[in-house]
Amino acid sequence: VRPPLHQPTSLGEVCELLDTLEDPMVYGGGTAIQILIKQGVLFAGNFVDLSRVPGLDGIEESGDGLRVGPMATVRRMETTELVRRRTPLAAETYGHVANPRVRNTASVGGNIAHGDYRLDPPTALLVLDARVELTSVRGTRSLPIREFFVDFQVTAVEPGELITAIEIPAAAAGSTSAYVKLSSLGANDWPAASVAALLDPERRTLRLGLGALAPMPRYVEVPLDGGGVDEAVKSALAAVEPELDPIPDIRGSADYKRGLGRVAAEDAVRRAWEDAR
Amino acid sequence: MTQTTPIATGSGTGVGSRRTRVGAEGKVRGQLRHVADRPAGGAAHVAVHRSTRPHARILAIDVSQAAELEGVDAVVTGADLHAVFGERVFTGPAFSDQPPLAVDRVRYVGEPVAAVLARDVATAREAAELVYVEYEDLEPVYDVEDALEGRAFVHDHLKPSVVFGDLRHLSGKSETNIAYEYNLRLGDAAAAGSEAAETAAHEFWAPPVHHVPIELPATVAWVEAGRLELFTTTQTPSYVRQSVADMLGLPLSHVRVRVAPLGGSFGSKMYDRLEPLLAALAWTQKREVRMVASREEAFMLTTRHGAEVISSMSADAEGNIVAASADVRYDTGAFADVGPRITAKSGMIAVGPYRVPNVSITSRCIYTNKPSAGPFRGFGVPQVTWSHESLVDELARARGEDPAAYRRRNLLREGDEGYMGTVIHSADFVGCLDAVTEAIGWDTPLDRGEGRWRRGRGVAVGIKAVLTPTVANAVLQLNQDGSATLMISTVDMGQGSDTIMPQIVAEVLGLDSEQIRVVAADTDVTPYDTITAGSRSTYHTGNAVRGVAERMRERVLDLAAARTGSAREDLKLDSGGVLNTATGKRYSIAELVHEHFGARGATLTEEYNFTTSWQPYDKATGRSPKVTEHWFAGAVAAQITVDRKTGRVHVEDLAVAGDVGRAINPTLVEQQLTGSAIMGLGHALFDELVFDQGQVINGTLLDYQLPSVKDLPDRLTPIVIESPHATGPFGAKGVGETGIIPIAPAVANAIRDAVGVRITRLPLSPERVLQAMNQAGVEE
Repeated sequence: VRPPLHQPTSLGEVCELLDTLEDPMVYGGGTAIQILIKQGVLFAGNFVDLSRVPGLDGIEESGDGLRVGPMATVRRMETTELVRRRTPLAAETYGHVANPRVRNTASVGGNIAHGDYRLDPPTALLVLDARVELTSVRGTRSLPIREFFVDFQVTAVEPGELITAIEIPAAAAGSTSAYVKLSSLGANDWPAASVAALLDPERRTLRLGLGALAPMPRYVEVPLDGGGVDEAVKSALAAVEPELDPIPDIRGSADYKRGLGRVAAEDAVRRAWEDAR
Repeated sequence: MTQTTPIATGSGTGVGSRRTRVGAEGKVRGQLRHVADRPAGGAAHVAVHRSTRPHARILAIDVSQAAELEGVDAVVTGADLHAVFGERVFTGPAFSDQPPLAVDRVRYVGEPVAAVLARDVATAREAAELVYVEYEDLEPVYDVEDALEGRAFVHDHLKPSVVFGDLRHLSGKSETNIAYEYNLRLGDAAAAGSEAAETAAHEFWAPPVHHVPIELPATVAWVEAGRLELFTTTQTPSYVRQSVADMLGLPLSHVRVRVAPLGGSFGSKMYDRLEPLLAALAWTQKREVRMVASREEAFMLTTRHGAEVISSMSADAEGNIVAASADVRYDTGAFADVGPRITAKSGMIAVGPYRVPNVSITSRCIYTNKPSAGPFRGFGVPQVTWSHESLVDELARARGEDPAAYRRRNLLREGDEGYMGTVIHSADFVGCLDAVTEAIGWDTPLDRGEGRWRRGRGVAVGIKAVLTPTVANAVLQLNQDGSATLMISTVDMGQGSDTIMPQIVAEVLGLDSEQIRVVAADTDVTPYDTITAGSRSTYHTGNAVRGVAERMRERVLDLAAARTGSAREDLKLDSGGVLNTATGKRYSIAELVHEHFGARGATLTEEYNFTTSWQPYDKATGRSPKVTEHWFAGAVAAQITVDRKTGRVHVEDLAVAGDVGRAINPTLVEQQLTGSAIMGLGHALFDELVFDQGQVINGTLLDYQLPSVKDLPDRLTPIVIESPHATGPFGAKGVGETGIIPIAPAVANAIRDAVGVRITRLPLSPERVLQAMNQAGVEE
């Protein structure tokens, strides 16, 4: 039997429902939830649908970055001019999610709440040092995305909380970046390895976000000591290596995915480096 | 038979016209009504409890909790059906081995064990999960190696159906997993091979794959006035009527099978799918019942045969192919389905479209504890083509010859007697080969790339026989106003039969094909037709349609002669109606028919039968002077890049050619070639049903991948080759499978060309390609 669907019309109501209902689950775009229902592996007592709550789908300027509501679609992150200008790496990465049909339905909040290790956006959010705003009847707290992904499909969202915003700072002017996604089956598939890379203008630090290469998205910061791109690649690969802990499946063995991870890391670093010229 | 109709220009929508596909707009707008769109009304919804064991005896089934759930009307087990129908409950096109619900024993993970009838789908599915089965495990047979070891047997006895007389000798055979074995022997392949200058030999594997039509299988069944009615997604309405009538013990007149346009099928909606179960439930429960398979269930209804081919090909010092052998092992899963036919028809051409004087082929259909494998676009031929097109490529390379030129000089030509004993006609292998190589610029210099990206070109040729013998019938009603209604049991599933059959009628009668409608297959109305499959309809049903149109033309001219007092030989029919060539006077069909009956809206009716025959295989050699009514010829050439670092293959250019005899509608032919090329590319690069201990582990569209628009070649060129068939309707033959057959080896041969590795297992996944490059020491 499917859990009942609640459709509150204000944030206050949402928080109340999440506080009082048994085993509630926030329902955003539904693209992940519907699949989990179909697979019979989703265990929720109640769904709390956000689609009727006004004001949760904004994409706004905030400082020099962005404040994105949880119900903004993945597709809008890809296409909105403001996102492309302020956080080009985020726009590029959101544009790699699944296919246009899914991107038009999937929500930004639901995407990270799913906590899947293969998702594209977390790699960019990690290197951009995004923050996640969580709200409940107890109030609001803000958490660095680097502390958000806790374990295999486990996030830091506490019972009663929902994601009310993702704050994405713009990278320092002159930073360069790239996102590399390598799939082993169809081109629209989840990645078998993905890496987002961000290089600061002085090329002192390389920030890498890894997707599909461990049970959860991983973040790696690589200090650079003034060498060229080959040395940057070398440092990056050395830093990435201990983080590679891929899950073998029909998309490839662990060994193959580790290899793909190295290729993706090198490609991302080189592309980010070239981007700077 | 001779061509009696000259090719006329007609109304411009006849043979050769690119008229728009019938129903295209309705499909795009979602207005076409498919089987599952029929309102459920008071029907009971059916859900199925499935086996969790690959091979086990059923000790007990507890349905009490399921039956007690509110909204559940009935829970039915295989034992319940067996009590009513006895052994008739087992159906199947070649072997009567397939129960609608498992009786005493389960043979694959996912086999239906009990069916729930409930007020809605959710209740039915919930109740299905409340069925508890106690099993005693039996030793499972996971693959063809297990099966041939003969430690455990999927079936205690072979049970050939009454349909195929040539299988009778297998009846009751026990202690075997080999449902059927076909052998072809010509000359002495072993001796010729051992004396040859060059031999290529490998073991090949093509895994099981699934059809994944967009429309899911659906069946609605009910009893009306003592007759059973079925509304169902099937390519084989005439077969289903027979199968269900046999099971229920009813005359054919008391079973009605109706079909709506199918949203794709590719062989997945054939023979006994949901129909026997739904018919048995409707009959025993006296209820209208309906079931729409879920996507996950569809993966378990039928698959393409996984096949192992152990093969070799040898050439003499001049490069002539002198010997070839193939040991072909089709994994047919738990039920034979049409596997025995696939085994023989594909086995007999397992060494390819080449002149080979010494051939030895053994082809076996082997039971395992997996979902049943059945027909799939190509009917077992892509699996053997994977072998022979890789081998011939290796022979060419071993000799330092261009692979296209090497094939060219060894290919079968018009008038040759093939090694299977049948003469080649209207199968222009050379023309197809030349067309595809030219299209990708085979002879132009190739930038082979360096470092990470390597480039290569590959080619492959395919041969397939059309299913023979078969029967086609057509009934044509010419309406008084000059429009017409065509009754055939060909099912339009996207291939375009509803579009091209009217073009044939229009060509003969000088009508506008837009005014000719094909009646959806309905066994109460439309005449018997063997099956809509194996690319047979354009030729077979097309000939029946041409025949009925010609009879109608004679009828109209007779009528005109009688009514106008003209000499019969002076009259002819064209797009302006009947013309008296002596007087120049014209008579319209509308006025002739109106005057004849004295009624507007009256109809003239004619019927025509077209049946093909064959000569059974010689018992000693497996050869036959007429093994098939006609041949299909196709070729594919590809230019690809390989990423040395990831193993990923990217197709830059792909050309696919098919000899269709004559294109009734060139646009539809091009679409068939293109569609099958894309489907075949999936099989080449990543499509695969993965099993773990008998269980499908990627039976969802998340994990089972199909090519998307992003996986298409940068350029894809379909090429229509027309080598008219003497007895085809206007020279035409079918094209539904031609393009898919040579795709995978063409891509593998291009990889071989690019990086020097020969991969013998499909799919050519990046990991497999990378591993092969690493093992071969291909430089980074």
